[in-house]
Amino acid sequence: MLTQLKIEKITSDLLKPIRLTKSFLIWMGFLGASLLVCLFAYFLQLRDGMVVTGLGDYVSWGMYISNFVFFVATSLIGMLISAVLSLSGQKWATPLARIAEIIALAFAAVAGLVIIMDMGRPERLLNVFIHGRIQSPIVWDVTVVTIYVLVSTLFLYIPLIPDLKICSEKLEKLPPFARNLYKFLSLNWNNTIEQKKLIKDSTRVLAIFIIPIALAIHTVTSWLFANTSRAGWDSTIFGPYFVSGAFVSGCAAVIIAMYFFQKNYKLQDYITDFHFNKIGQLLALVSLVYLYFNLNEYMVPGYKMKLAEAKHLKELFSGSHALLFWSTQLLGLIIPIILLLFKKMRKSGPLLIIAAFVLIGSWFKRYIIVFPTMEHPFLPIQNVPLNFKIYTPTLVEILVTIAPMILVLIIITILSKIIPIIPIHETIEQLEELEENKK
Amino acid sequence: MLKNKLNTRLFVTFSLATLLILNCFSATWDVPADQKEKKSYIKFDKQTSSQGEVLYNANCASCHGNPGKNNILKSLNPIPPDLSGKSSQALSDGDLQYILNTGRGLMPNFKNVISAEDQWKVISYLRGFNPNYVQELSKFDPNKSKLVKLTAKFDSKANILTVMALADEKSGKIPIIKAEIAVFVKRYFGNMQIEKTVLTDNFGKAQVVFPKDLPGNKTGDLEVLVKLFDENYGEVQTTNKLAIGVPTDKPALNEKRAIWNVLAKAPIWTLSLYLLGVFAFILLLLYLLNNLRKLYNSKTI
Repeated sequence: MLTQLKIEKITSDLLKPIRLTKSFLIWMGFLGASLLVCLFAYFLQLRDGMVVTGLGDYVSWGMYISNFVFFVATSLIGMLISAVLSLSGQKWATPLARIAEIIALAFAAVAGLVIIMDMGRPERLLNVFIHGRIQSPIVWDVTVVTIYVLVSTLFLYIPLIPDLKICSEKLEKLPPFARNLYKFLSLNWNNTIEQKKLIKDSTRVLAIFIIPIALAIHTVTSWLFANTSRAGWDSTIFGPYFVSGAFVSGCAAVIIAMYFFQKNYKLQDYITDFHFNKIGQLLALVSLVYLYFNLNEYMVPGYKMKLAEAKHLKELFSGSHALLFWSTQLLGLIIPIILLLFKKMRKSGPLLIIAAFVLIGSWFKRYIIVFPTMEHPFLPIQNVPLNFKIYTPTLVEILVTIAPMILVLIIITILSKIIPIIPIHETIEQLEELEENKK
Repeated sequence: MLKNKLNTRLFVTFSLATLLILNCFSATWDVPADQKEKKSYIKFDKQTSSQGEVLYNANCASCHGNPGKNNILKSLNPIPPDLSGKSSQALSDGDLQYILNTGRGLMPNFKNVISAEDQWKVISYLRGFNPNYVQELSKFDPNKSKLVKLTAKFDSKANILTVMALADEKSGKIPIIKAEIAVFVKRYFGNMQIEKTVLTDNFGKAQVVFPKDLPGNKTGDLEVLVKLFDENYGEVQTTNKLAIGVPTDKPALNEKRAIWNVLAKAPIWTLSLYLLGVFAFILLLLYLLNNLRKLYNSKTI
C-alpha cells in the first residue's frame, strides 16, 4: 500500500513539468528571438559569402570547426553515462541517463548543421554523397555522425516507451492529438514480461554498441585533424585525446542541465546532493585523464621542438595566443580539478559554477586546437596582407557560431517539456526492487 | 707580405662581386642595336591583346602583377617593374622581346617557353596600357616560314641528331645558312633542351649530340622537338617521335589501389572496414526494429 502511494507520488512528481508554463514560454521566446538574430547573421553569410567571416585561404578552419568539434565532443556524454555507467552497474546514474541522452541527441543532431554553416556553398554538401571517397575521413565523419544520431534517438526512445504509455494515461489537460501520439509511440506497451524483456534486451544491446559508435565519431573527428600533416595536429594520440576531452565537456553540460532541471522542475527528491557529489567525482576523474593526455600532447613535441612545431608551440606558450591558452588550461581544467577534490565544492551551487567554467574552457580548448595550427603551416605564408595571416573572427561569425548553441538549448527545453526527464518506469522498478529486498 | 696579398685578393674579390651585383640589378638593359630595332610582324589588335593577356597571366603576373593594379610581388629584389608604367613603356618592342628572351637575375628567360609569335602577343597586351603607342610593323613576311622544311635524322651509333634546314624557294631548294637550331625533348613539365643552340652550316645542316640515358616511354620513345629560328624565315618547329630513349615502365601513382586514388581504386582494407562498419550498423538497426515490432504485436498480459 505504501509502495502504491509512493509510485503515485513519483508519477505525478515526474509528470508535473510536462505542461506549458509562463516561464517556459518566456524562455522559449527569448531563445527564439536570439536565434532569429543569429539566423540573420547566417543569412548575411549566405548572401555575401564567407568574406563576411574572418576565414580565408590560410586560416580556413576557425570558430565553426571548433564549434563542430565541441558539439561532437559534448554529445559523447550519452554514451558515458547511459552505457558505460549502466553496464558497469553504477545505479546512481539511472536518473541522469535521460538527461545525458537528451544532451547527446541534441548536440549530435546539431553538429551536422554546424558543419554546413562552415560551407560557403552549403548546397555542395550533396557532393560528399555523390563524389565522396571512402578513403576520406570526411566521408567517415558524415557516416558515423549520422549513425550516432540515429542510434542516440533509439537509445533515447526505447527506454522511454513505458514512460510514453504513462504519459498517455496519466497526463491531464492533454489535447487529444497529443494523447494519441503518446499512445501510438508507446507501441501497445502493457508492462508484460515479454515486453519488459524486449526493452531490457534492446537497451542492453544498444548500450554495448553505442560505445564503439561514440568512440568512432570522436576518433574520426580527431582524424580530420591528425590525418593532416600540420604542426600541432600531426599526433598519434589525437583520438584518445579528443575522446577524453569530450567526456569533460559532456559531464559539465550534464551538471549544468541537472542544476536547472532540479531547480525549475522541482526535482529535489530525485536529483539530490548525492548525485551532484557523484557526478562531481566523475568530472574530476575524466578531467584528470584529459590533463594526462594534455601533458602528453604538449610535452612530446615541446621536448623536440621541431621547426614548425616550435613556432606553433611558442605562440601558444608565450606568444600571441598565450593568454587564451593558459587561461583555458588553468580556468577550464587545472583549477576545476583542484577544486573538485574537495567535497564542499561538489555541492550543486559550487559545482554549477565549476561546470560552467569547464564547459566554456572546453569550447576554447577546441578553438586553440583548431586555428593556431592554421596560422602556422609548414610552407611559410608570404606576400599577403596581415589579416590573411592572423585569424580574427567577425561579429557575423560569432553570431553564426552562437546559433547552434541556441538551437541545442531549444531542443533540450522542448524535449524536457514533452517527455519526463527522469525515467518514471525505471525509478519505480528500482523502488520495487528495493521493497522486495526489504521483505 | 702574406697579409697584404690576402687583403688585395679580398679587395679584388669584393670589387668583382660588387660589379657583378651592380650589373645584375642595374636599371637599364644592354640591348644590342639589331635586337632593339626588331619589330613585330603580327599586327597588334584586340584579338592578339586578349591572347597575350592569357599568356601574361600564366607566365608574368605572379611577379609583375596585373598591369596598373599595383599588386607586384614586392618581396623580390629588385622589385619587378609594373609593365604598364612609364619606364617599361619607353622600351622599344625589340627591347621587350630581348628581355623576354634573355632574362636576368630572378627574371627567367622565356626563349624556349613562349614562342616568338606568342611573345609578340604578350607585348601587344602590354601596349594596350599605353595610349600613345603607335605600332610599326616589321617587314618580315610570316608566309616565308611556310617554305621551310626541317628534317631530323638520328645516327644511333654516334648518338647524333642531324638536322637539315632547307627552304622551298622558287629557284629550288636552298639551304638555310646560320639559322639557330635548338633541340628539345618533351618532359612532364615543359621541354628540356638538349645541348646548346647551334647554327646551321653552309649546307643547312646542324648536329646535336644526344645523351644516351634519357628515359623514354615503355618502348623507349622520345618526343623530340626541333626549333629553327632565322632572320628571314622566322620561327619553325617540327616534332618527331624517335625510339632513342631508355625504355621505362613506371606505373603512374594513380594506377594501383591507393588511399589517394579515386573511389573505384580505394584500398581493399579501407573499403572492407568501412563497409563492415556500415553493415554491422544495419544489422543492429534491423535487430532493434524487429524488437520494436515484436513489442507492438504482443498484446497479451
